[in-house]
Amino acid sequence: MSDTSVFDELPGDLMIWVLIVSELLVFGAGLATFLAVRVTDPAGFAAAQDMLYRTGAGINTVVLVTSGALAAWALRLREDAQRGHARLALVSAALLGVVFLLIKGFEFLGKSAAGIGWDTHPFFTFYYLLTGFHAAHVVAGVVILLLVAWQDSPRNIEAGAAFWHMVDLVWVILFPVIYLLR
Amino acid sequence: MIRAPLLRAWAALMCLSLGATLISLWHWPPALEAVAGVLVLSLAWLKARIILSSYLGLDAAPFWRRGFGMSLGAFCLLLLGLYLLPGLL
Repeated sequence: MSDTSVFDELPGDLMIWVLIVSELLVFGAGLATFLAVRVTDPAGFAAAQDMLYRTGAGINTVVLVTSGALAAWALRLREDAQRGHARLALVSAALLGVVFLLIKGFEFLGKSAAGIGWDTHPFFTFYYLLTGFHAAHVVAGVVILLLVAWQDSPRNIEAGAAFWHMVDLVWVILFPVIYLLR
Repeated sequence: MIRAPLLRAWAALMCLSLGATLISLWHWPPALEAVAGVLVLSLAWLKARIILSSYLGLDAAPFWRRGFGMSLGAFCLLLLGLYLLPGLL
C-alpha cells in the first residue's frame, strides 16, 4: 500500500490551498448573492452597471494577469537559482499590483465625485463590497510579494505567489460578473 | 526568458480577457443578450482554469485540476442560471 496521499499531489503547502478555497467560497457566495439580488431589479442593475468604468477595469485585468505571470515566473527563476532575477520579477509583480490599486482608486474617486455611494443602489452596495474586499486582498498581496522578495526561499516564494494567483483567480470571475454581464 | 508554457498561458489569458470585453461591448439584440452572458461566463471559466493549471501549477496535479475545474464549472453554471433567471420569470 502506498504512503502517498492525493494531497501530496498539490503544489506547495496544503494550508495555502485551504486559504485559496476559503477565499473562493467567500467571493463566490458574494457573487452568487449579487446575481440573486439582481433578479429582483435587472433594469436597475443594468443602469447602475452602465456607470462603471469598464475600460479601467479591463486595463486592470491585463495588469493583474501580467503580474500573476511575473509571480509564477519568479518561482521558476528561484528554483533555477536565479535569485536576482526572481526578486526583480517579484518586485515588478508587486508594482503592477500598485498600478491596479491606483486605477481602482481613481475608479472609486470618480464614483464618489459623481455622488455614487454604497447606498445609491443595491448594485453599488455589492460593487463596493466585492471590489473593495478584493482590493484589500491586492494590498495584502503586494506586501506579501515584497516580503517573499526579501525572504526569498523557494517555499516562501511559492506560498506568496500562490496567494497572488488566488487574487488573480478571484478577479477573473469577479470582473465579468460585476462589469460585463449585461 | 519566460518559459513557453507560462508565456502561452499569459497570452491565452490576454486573448480571453479581450474577447470577453469585446463580447460585452458588442450591441447584442435583446433576444441574444443571454448568448453574450453565456459566452462571457464561459470565458471566465476558461481563464480560471488557465490560472489554476499554469500559474498555480495544477498541471502537475491532474486530480486536483479536474476537481477545481469541475467545481468552478458548476459555480459558473449557478451564476449563469441566476443571470438568466430574470428573463425566465
